[in-house]
Amino acid sequence: MKSLLRPLLAATLALALASGAFAAAASSKLIVAFLPKSKGNAYFISCKAGAEKAAKELGVELLFDGPTDSNAAKQNEIVENWITLGVDVIAVAAENREGISTALRKAQKQGIKVVTYDADAMPDARSFFVNQATPEGIGQALMDEAARLLNGEGEFSMIVATLTAANQREWQKHIEARLKEKYPKMKLVAVRPCDDLKDKAQSEATAMMSANPNLKLIMAICSPGVPGAAEAVKQAGKTGQVKVIGLGLPNENKRYVHEGVTDTVILWNTGDLGYLTIYAGVALAKGELKPGAKSFKAGSLGTFAIQGDNILLGKPFAFNKGNIDQFNF
Amino acid sequence: MLLLYVLIAEWLFFYFAGTTTNRRGIVVGFGTLDRQFDILRHSCEIGLLALALTPVIITAGIDLSVASLLGLCAILFGKFWHDAGMPIPLAAALALGCGALGGALNAALITTLRLPPLIVTLGTYSLFRGLAEAITRGSATYTNFPESFLFLGQERWLGLPTQAWLFFAVAAGVWVLVHRMTFGRSFRAIGFAPDGARYAGLPVNRRVALAYILAGLIAALAAIIYTARLGQAKADAGMGYELFAITAVVLGGTSIFGGTGSVHGTLLGVAAIAVLKNGLASLPVVMRMNAAEEMAGLLTGALLLLALTAGVLPRLWAQRRPPPAAPAIASSTPPSPA
Repeated sequence: MKSLLRPLLAATLALALASGAFAAAASSKLIVAFLPKSKGNAYFISCKAGAEKAAKELGVELLFDGPTDSNAAKQNEIVENWITLGVDVIAVAAENREGISTALRKAQKQGIKVVTYDADAMPDARSFFVNQATPEGIGQALMDEAARLLNGEGEFSMIVATLTAANQREWQKHIEARLKEKYPKMKLVAVRPCDDLKDKAQSEATAMMSANPNLKLIMAICSPGVPGAAEAVKQAGKTGQVKVIGLGLPNENKRYVHEGVTDTVILWNTGDLGYLTIYAGVALAKGELKPGAKSFKAGSLGTFAIQGDNILLGKPFAFNKGNIDQFNF
Repeated sequence: MLLLYVLIAEWLFFYFAGTTTNRRGIVVGFGTLDRQFDILRHSCEIGLLALALTPVIITAGIDLSVASLLGLCAILFGKFWHDAGMPIPLAAALALGCGALGGALNAALITTLRLPPLIVTLGTYSLFRGLAEAITRGSATYTNFPESFLFLGQERWLGLPTQAWLFFAVAAGVWVLVHRMTFGRSFRAIGFAPDGARYAGLPVNRRVALAYILAGLIAALAAIIYTARLGQAKADAGMGYELFAITAVVLGGTSIFGGTGSVHGTLLGVAAIAVLKNGLASLPVVMRMNAAEEMAGLLTGALLLLALTAGVLPRLWAQRRPPPAAPAIASSTPPSPA
């Protein structure tokens, strides 16, 4: 063992000397760390693309790391590593609201600016939440799109995840409010749950079409519901006759959008979400964005409204035949 | 004690390479006391599992189910507290009881049915995690624990992370059990030669059962600490920790074939892995690769293989030195009951 000790210590010493090189790698640029719920998820990869664009424009260094699966414990460890590295800004999509907040508060204590995006942490653990969509915005965008496709008149039905889920109820409320307020000639004839299952959405959509021969449009407000409804319409041979729109992810709807079954998929622009998040974080670190601000200008995307401590990404984004191929998530 | 040198070398390297002053003039990185405490905090759960596994592995057994049991106990703890409205101490005590029961299930299958520990605990590995997922339907998460409970996982007490005291207490307890009590000696005897131990009049089944029940109990304690650290109890708690824990035990010099091993070795193994993992993550170069986690996994594997190789090489050399006249058969045949 003794014989091993000396070379080992010598190696350590050599490494320690070489470590100067490691330490010197600390850059003079502002470092922004961007944490997704899981780093292999296409949704977050598309957020990252926008974040990278913003980082390039602002001349800051971007770190992007996250758990390989959605793991709250690993998110905490990554944030703590970033605190160790002494980054300037941490932007987080929280997997666990309370769990991550402990680590974020610690970061704030060290002078690191914290923003959240996509999924918020506790309000005292971050300065701003970049809110991708308000229920009101989503409800209005869906209803307006339905009215646009039907020229403001005709029967339509809805597929929801469950009749009780809080977010679904909230969206439905805003859809119905918009309907009542602006589109008197349109009629909501059925609302059915699909339990977040594509198969069930398909059978519900089939049932809706046979029960309501005058049905002109199906609106699905849960992501499996959109391709489910589209499949039903396609199999019934009613493509074009019964239109499909909904809240969902571009990838699982691309096929139907290109086949002309589904007209529009509503969500937010994930690239813009990443872009805005980085701009907000950097502005915070530079002292240009302060709590209490009412609006915020983010590079080429223009000005965004701030409600309390929520920076609003604004109107949802409509994916259609013309643009859906630019998105991969 | 090669591992001790490796640990010191690791630590020194990261101390020099992983400590910097950031743009705001604050000293950050591996060398800060805060960071050292973080490492200790993060090591407690895997450390506890490694402590739980040490006696088991010394008896030539293995328990793959410890981390799954951690997940199950975390969920049960959350359920007792949140759904059944029990006070935290009672919920914790019950969760510990469930941990011991889980361990007892392993023990019963291994000792009475004489099934191989690897297979039994491979079964309970899925069973416990599956139960945790079934209870929560894979989605329910218990949060909103009171501050007084989170203190255990997130704050400091008498200068150290609170949970470190529990970890040290368990380490001391297991150390005394393995190294200072006849129990511990019987673990080694059983691991070395189970039949021999039986002929020598040792209550082999009871001793083996004790090792597994103790492992279950410690896994439940790790579950409570995990829950307090994250402020959440979810079915995926501690996923994959068993492999880190086994790595730490083996790295610490405990033979996977049983018979030899030490608790202080295990602690060194835990420290070597924790320092490597956290140290790497504090190197700006590694950080910029955005793959600290993956890198740590890779190097932990390399470290384990190197340590195993280093342990075997001297013996191989010794065998090769003398001319073929004296083949070293004695060292490769299983030891006969003394």
